[in-house]
Amino acid sequence: MAKTVFVGMSGGVDSSVSALLLLEQGYNVIGVYMRNWSEDLPGMKCPWAEDLADAKRVAVKLGINFEVWDFEKDYREKVVEYMLAEFRKGNTPNPDIMCNQEIKFKLFYEKAMAAGADYIATGHYARVMTRGADFVSAEQARANFEKLPEASTELVIPAQPRRSFKRFARRAANCEQNLPTESSSYLLRAADENKDQTYFLYRISEEALAHTIFPIGEMLKPEVKKLAAEHHLHNAYKKESMGVCFVGEVGMRDFLKQYIDVEPGEIREIESDRVLGYHEGAIFYTIGQRHGLYLDGEKGVVNDGMPYYVVKKDLVKNIIYVSKNLNHEAVWTKELRLRDVLIRENQEGRPWNKQVLTRLRHRAPLVPARFDGEILHFESEVKRPASGQSAVLYDDKICLGGGIID
Amino acid sequence: MHDFFNPSAAYLPAKKVAADYEAAKGTIAHAIGAKASDLVITAGATEANNLAFTALDTKLWQTDFVRRSRHAEALGTESIFLDAGLGSSSTSYAGARAEPSLRDEPVRSGRNIRVENPNHFMHQKKQNSVPNASVLYLITEHDSVRRVAEAYGGEPIRVLSNGLIDLDDLRNKITDETELISVALVNNELGTIQPLADVAQIIREVKIDRMKRGVKRQLLLHSDASQALSLLDINVARLGVDLLTLNAAKVYGPKGVGALYVSHEANLHPLSLGGGQENGLRSGTENVPSVIGFAKAVELSKKHLAFNRKKYASWKKILLEELEDYELINRKHSLDNFIVLCYNGIDAERLIFLLEDKGVYLATGAACAASKGVRSHVLKAIGLSDTQINGSLRISLGETNTEEQIHEAAKIINEVVRSEERRVNG
Repeated sequence: MAKTVFVGMSGGVDSSVSALLLLEQGYNVIGVYMRNWSEDLPGMKCPWAEDLADAKRVAVKLGINFEVWDFEKDYREKVVEYMLAEFRKGNTPNPDIMCNQEIKFKLFYEKAMAAGADYIATGHYARVMTRGADFVSAEQARANFEKLPEASTELVIPAQPRRSFKRFARRAANCEQNLPTESSSYLLRAADENKDQTYFLYRISEEALAHTIFPIGEMLKPEVKKLAAEHHLHNAYKKESMGVCFVGEVGMRDFLKQYIDVEPGEIREIESDRVLGYHEGAIFYTIGQRHGLYLDGEKGVVNDGMPYYVVKKDLVKNIIYVSKNLNHEAVWTKELRLRDVLIRENQEGRPWNKQVLTRLRHRAPLVPARFDGEILHFESEVKRPASGQSAVLYDDKICLGGGIID
Repeated sequence: MHDFFNPSAAYLPAKKVAADYEAAKGTIAHAIGAKASDLVITAGATEANNLAFTALDTKLWQTDFVRRSRHAEALGTESIFLDAGLGSSSTSYAGARAEPSLRDEPVRSGRNIRVENPNHFMHQKKQNSVPNASVLYLITEHDSVRRVAEAYGGEPIRVLSNGLIDLDDLRNKITDETELISVALVNNELGTIQPLADVAQIIREVKIDRMKRGVKRQLLLHSDASQALSLLDINVARLGVDLLTLNAAKVYGPKGVGALYVSHEANLHPLSLGGGQENGLRSGTENVPSVIGFAKAVELSKKHLAFNRKKYASWKKILLEELEDYELINRKHSLDNFIVLCYNGIDAERLIFLLEDKGVYLATGAACAASKGVRSHVLKAIGLSDTQINGSLRISLGETNTEEQIHEAAKIINEVVRSEERRVNG
C-alpha cells in the first residue's frame, strides 16, 4: 500500500521537482498550495494567483490531486505580526524562520496528517536522517557499499527518496531500520552547500521532521533545473522568489512603512555626538550596516573616504549612532548572546562547551565556536549580525539547533 | 506602408498622413453608422470605457470644457457649447488643419481646451463621488466597465438566468439622479446579445417623463461593443446609444487600439491633456499604424460578416453534437462563436492545463487558470452554482479555425474529459 505524501507546492521549480520525484518513487502524492498572503502592496501586485496557477499546472501535468489551503489569518498573526513587533523593538527578525516553525511545519503538517498523510514534503534544500545511523564519510560509505550482498535491495521505503541506487545503498548500508519514528530524526545540511536552507529550518518540531521528506536535499540546484526541463515542467527556468514577497520585490522598507509609523531622525557620530546627517527611520537600519547612510556633515571630517558603521540605535530618541572605528565593539565581537535557544532533541549530549560550527546568516561560511548554553564564543572576531537574526549551530552536517541573537 | 510623418505637422507629406488617418477613422466610423469626427481613438477598449464615464463629471463641463467636432462647427450645427472666455486660439495644434475663418473668433475653437482643475481625473473620483445611482451598469460587464462604474458609485443591474438584462430591474433602478447607463452589446464571457434598442426605448420614455416634470438631467446610454463588431451589424442610431466602445483586437486588428463613438449629447472631458488631438478629447500624437490596421481589420470583418455568421453557426452545431456529457450554459441569445459548457463534478482548470498540451486552448470561469484567483462574476450573476462554475469551459471560435480543427477539438476534449473523470473516480 503506497504511502501518502502531501507536498507543499509553491509554483517554483524546487517544489515542482520534489513532487515529481515523490511520484517516481511510488508515493501517493497530493500537491498543496499554501496561500499565506494575497494582499497587494503599493507598487507591487501580489503574485499569489500566478504562483498558484504555476503550481496547479505542474500538479495537473503530473496527474496528482491538488488543493489550496488557506493560512492567511495565521500567517498574518504568527509571522507578520511577529516580524513587525521585532522591528518596532529595533531588531531585524527573520520571518522565514517563523514561517517554517509555525506554518509550514506546524499548521500544514497538522492539517496534512489529519487528512491522512504519512509524510509531508517540501522543496527545501535540506536532508533528514534517521537515528542510529552513523554518519560516515564518502570513502567509508563506498567501502560499505562494495561489501553489500546483492539481495539487500529489500528495504522498506526510505525517508529520503533517492535518484540513484548508489546513494540509497550508502544510507542503507548504515541503517538497520529506515522507518523514521517519533524521536529518531536528524536535520542535515543539503548536498548543495550553496543552497542549503537548514538555516531557516532549525526551529521545526521533531515530530514534524520525523514525518518530513526533502526530496531534493541530495541534489544540486543545476540538477534540479535539468530534471525539470527534461520533464517539460514549464517553470524549469522560473526566476526564484527570495522568500516572502515583501522581502523581495517590494523591499522590507516599503512594506514596513505600511505598518509602522516612521519619522526621520538624526545620525550622530558616537564619539563626538555630532550630527552628521539624517535617517528615514531608525527601524530600517541594522548595527554594523555601512551602506545607505546619507551623511553630509562637515566637510573634510566626514568625506575622508573612510566608511561609517552603525553602532547603536536609540529608538526612543530616534537617533542612529555611527562610528568610523572599524574595531568598535558594536561591529566586531567574539561573543554573541543567544535567546530563545532551541537545541534539537536526539543530540548525543548537549552541545554545551562543545566545539560547533555556526552560521550567522543564510549561505554564510561556517565559523567554529563554542556554545555554553547562553553565549556563543568565537575564536576570532566576527562581524556582529543584527539582533533578531538567528545563529544556527552544526556538528559536521547535523543541525543542532540555534538561537536568536540578542 | 505609411510614411513616418506626424499628422499634426504643417508640411505636405504630413497632411497626406493626416488624410490617411482621417480616412481610416472614417472607415471605422462608417462601420457603426457614424462619422469620423464622432470617433475618439484610444489605446484600447479600457481607455475608451474610462473616457466614456467622464460624461459624469458634470461639474467640469458646466464651467470650462468645450468639446465640439470640427464638422459640426463648420456646418454651424447646434451643439452644447459653453462660453467660458477661453482666450485666443492655441498655438500647439495642427496649423495645417485649423480653419482660417475661425482664427479670428477667439472663443469658438475646439482647440482651446483649458481645464480648470487638471487634477480632476477619474482616479480621484472616489473622493468627489457623484451621488448614488448616477450610474447604472449591467452586473455582467467586463472589469474595464465595472471598475470604472464602481469608482463612480454605480449600481449594478441584474440579469436573468439566460444572461439578458432584467429590464424591470433597470426600470426600477432608474431615478432622477441617473445620468449614465452602461450595457455591453455582447458579453465577453457568454456572448449574450443585449436588447439595446429596448434599453434605449426605456431611456427615451424616462427622458420624456423628466421633461414633463421639469427635471433637467442628462441620461446617456453607453455600450461596450468590443465583442460585437465582428458579427453584428452595428448602427449607433438604431441602437440608440450615446457612447459606444470599440476594440481593434476583437476584429483581429492590432492590440492596444480602440475607439469611442461620442454622440453630440455627451460631453466628456479628456483623460490626457496635451496638444489637443482627437477633438481635444485624447491628446497625444496619433497612433497612425494601429489606426490604419484597425480600419483594415474592420473593413475585412464587415466583408466577411455574413459568411462568418454562417460558418460559426454550423461549427457550433457540430461541437454541440459531437461533444459529450456536458451542460450547455449559453443556450439562447448569444453569438455563435461563443460556446459555454459545464462539466459537473470536473475541475475545469485541470482540463485547461491538460488541453493546452494537446493544442486546444480554452478558457474557464473557475478560479486560478486565468491567474486571477477569483471565480467569474458573470457566471455567478446568471445563477450558476460553484460546482457549475468550477466545471465551466468557454470555447471561442475565430478566424484562425478550420472545420477540421473543430472536429479534432471535439474529439480531444471528449478524451481529456473522460480521462479526468476516470482519474477522479479511480
